[in-house]
Amino acid sequence: MRLSLSTTLFQVAAGLAFSAALAFGATPTSGTTTGKADLKSAGQLAFGPNGVLFIGDAVGAAVYAIETADTKPAATAANLEIKAINEKIAAMLGTMPDQILINDIKVNPISKKIYLSVSRGRGPDGIPVILRIDNTGKLEEFSLDNVKYSMVTLPDAPESKPDAAPKKTPEGMGAGNPRASTITDMSYMDGKVIIAGVSNEEFSSDLRSVPYPFHSAERGTSSVEIWHSQHGRYETRSPIRTFIPYTIDKQPYILATYACTPLVKMPVSALKPGAKVEGETIAELGVHNTPLEMIPYRKEGHDYILVANSIRGVMKVNVDNLGSYKPIVPKNDACKASREPAVSVPQGMKSCGVDFGGTPFETLKDLKGVYQMSKADDKHAVLLQDSAGGDTVAFNAGNATVQTPEIKGTLDLKTIALP
Amino acid sequence: MIAKAALAVCLLPLIGLAQTIQFVDGVFKVAGWRPDRVVPSGGWSSIFAVYAGAEGAPPMLGTYSVEDGSLVFRPRFPLAAGVHYRAVFETPGVPRTEVSFDGAKRESVSSSKVVRVYPSADVLPSNALRMYIYFSAPMSRGEAWKHIRVLDERDKPIELPFLVIDQELWDPAYQRLTLLFDPGRIKRGLVLNQQMGPPIVEGRQYTLEIDRGWLDARGVPMVEGFRKTFRGGPSDRTPPYLNQWRVSAPRAGTVEALVIDFPKPMDYALMQRLIDIPDVAGSVDVDRQETQWRFTPSQPWKAGGYRLAVDSSLEDFAGNRIDRPFDVDNLQPSSGGSGEKTAFLPFQVH
Repeated sequence: MRLSLSTTLFQVAAGLAFSAALAFGATPTSGTTTGKADLKSAGQLAFGPNGVLFIGDAVGAAVYAIETADTKPAATAANLEIKAINEKIAAMLGTMPDQILINDIKVNPISKKIYLSVSRGRGPDGIPVILRIDNTGKLEEFSLDNVKYSMVTLPDAPESKPDAAPKKTPEGMGAGNPRASTITDMSYMDGKVIIAGVSNEEFSSDLRSVPYPFHSAERGTSSVEIWHSQHGRYETRSPIRTFIPYTIDKQPYILATYACTPLVKMPVSALKPGAKVEGETIAELGVHNTPLEMIPYRKEGHDYILVANSIRGVMKVNVDNLGSYKPIVPKNDACKASREPAVSVPQGMKSCGVDFGGTPFETLKDLKGVYQMSKADDKHAVLLQDSAGGDTVAFNAGNATVQTPEIKGTLDLKTIALP
Repeated sequence: MIAKAALAVCLLPLIGLAQTIQFVDGVFKVAGWRPDRVVPSGGWSSIFAVYAGAEGAPPMLGTYSVEDGSLVFRPRFPLAAGVHYRAVFETPGVPRTEVSFDGAKRESVSSSKVVRVYPSADVLPSNALRMYIYFSAPMSRGEAWKHIRVLDERDKPIELPFLVIDQELWDPAYQRLTLLFDPGRIKRGLVLNQQMGPPIVEGRQYTLEIDRGWLDARGVPMVEGFRKTFRGGPSDRTPPYLNQWRVSAPRAGTVEALVIDFPKPMDYALMQRLIDIPDVAGSVDVDRQETQWRFTPSQPWKAGGYRLAVDSSLEDFAGNRIDRPFDVDNLQPSSGGSGEKTAFLPFQVH
């Protein structure tokens, strides 16, 4: 019901804005409205053109595009260090540090101000809040009460049909549809917002490419099936965990990590509704290791990607010749022919395993306990880091990306030079 | 508000009463001090602020106004349970005032628990993909990976059985958490699968253990922990075949249930949503460890032909869908599916 209502409101707003655009001959910005952006949750963040901040609202099954008007350029990012930022945020929100979740951090590429998406409260009634840190280190709320914004809903594919005969199930009709998708990552590239999600029911591979400005709540939201094929043999649907837009040989790609395997690349041109897209493995960053955040940058004539991992610290991956690296292939014919999995760890086919490979990389020993990372400018990154953290981000003990961190030292936000 | 305050200042003489800070109707108010009509150069927050954190932490977010001649701070968020607040008023010429307030007492009585876990079967295929944990009350996010373990026969936790998705896969009410066994250990051919094998091994016994320390949405631990023992079965890499489903049709004129028995259990949540009898209202039940789907109509059946519509996204325990298995072996072209979105299974009511 909520979905259909917001869609209706959106369509009305779109119609009004379209008339205005005609009258003034401006670039059509159908769907943009001014008022309160009524998010149900604030998760992944991404910046688009002209200071537009995209906020992923997984609970509301929507992405909001907020015109921040934060467009005064700053040449470089400020050198900041804010100790125990989670405690400071909790104090501002009038609650305890264990009652907030810092969901994402992104830097406005124009103003270099840092934006944080936070949940005040950890239950279903948690309140979404956007905070901002200016170049002097001042932390403030970026209020969504009166902003220019547009939004696009992300209708779930297997939505029940509104005209279907009512069915009562053990889940209960009153509780609503228990199916939901979370948004695991989001980026803007070449006029499109690319959104990766994972469903809490069917094993989906939900990657959507939505043209921005948002012209219609429905347009472009058909999801793309992302597949993964290992050794060209076993194919599976593969949810994407995190990704970045990347240009290889002047062609737009996304570099992604699947929920189950390391780094792959896939051309953006292939991300068409209904398409079946397969990523090509370009790096294996270690068993059980999950890249949490990636930052592409260029330094001294070389291209790198800085990768913050779940268990292998922060890696600097050299991607100078990403277009020419050969995909990772089985070591030998026996590995290629291997069909059934190992039955237990000791008997595993370790000889076939590729622990590390593909593009060259190094692990940065100085950067430990990094939970969140965002590019601050061409030479700097902003980190959310446990001051006493180790190589392993202790997932089983909570994780600051959205979980309550069990911080060994203090959870600090700081600017570092890109290595 | 400001104009009203100015009027009040004009009409009433300033009285030298000692000021205090009150918390009334969700707002903090400086009583006994009349604000000047001019906002201080540093803003009202430079003389009046409320703090929820330790010394040195920034003040709470909120807005200021002058109401009925008093300076009022309206916090952006309601006071939280268990939080100690300090309201500080300090301006030249009057004594500094600091008053403490406490949010409501934090609830401490446990009332939540795990009520059900699916699959409910005692045997899970070694490539089982998913588990659902149902709670009796809304829970807190950011807890899951601290409190869930899968133990082996010696009660030793097995290493990383699940895909750790930091956002956590909750339903909107936060009463059902979806766990995915690490697909990298299930999919054939992947490094993880080859090096570590699947998280569940055929023939071995396991215990899913959830400790009571998991906090509910109120921040209170559960009443009790939860344990479920299961055994690893053979891997299942075949899609569910509709022609193997046994459909027991009801009799016309009754509200008997239509019963479908599956040769292998199906996904509990998907079964409720993805099997349908178009245009017939009624209620769905899932039984016999997810091997039976029953539909009881609201109105008696009419004689005639019906059909069961099955969305091809329907999965079994191992993520094999109606239209294709979880991982397709490209060397066996026949293992792919038909590609149809909906499959139909006709039945007759006599």
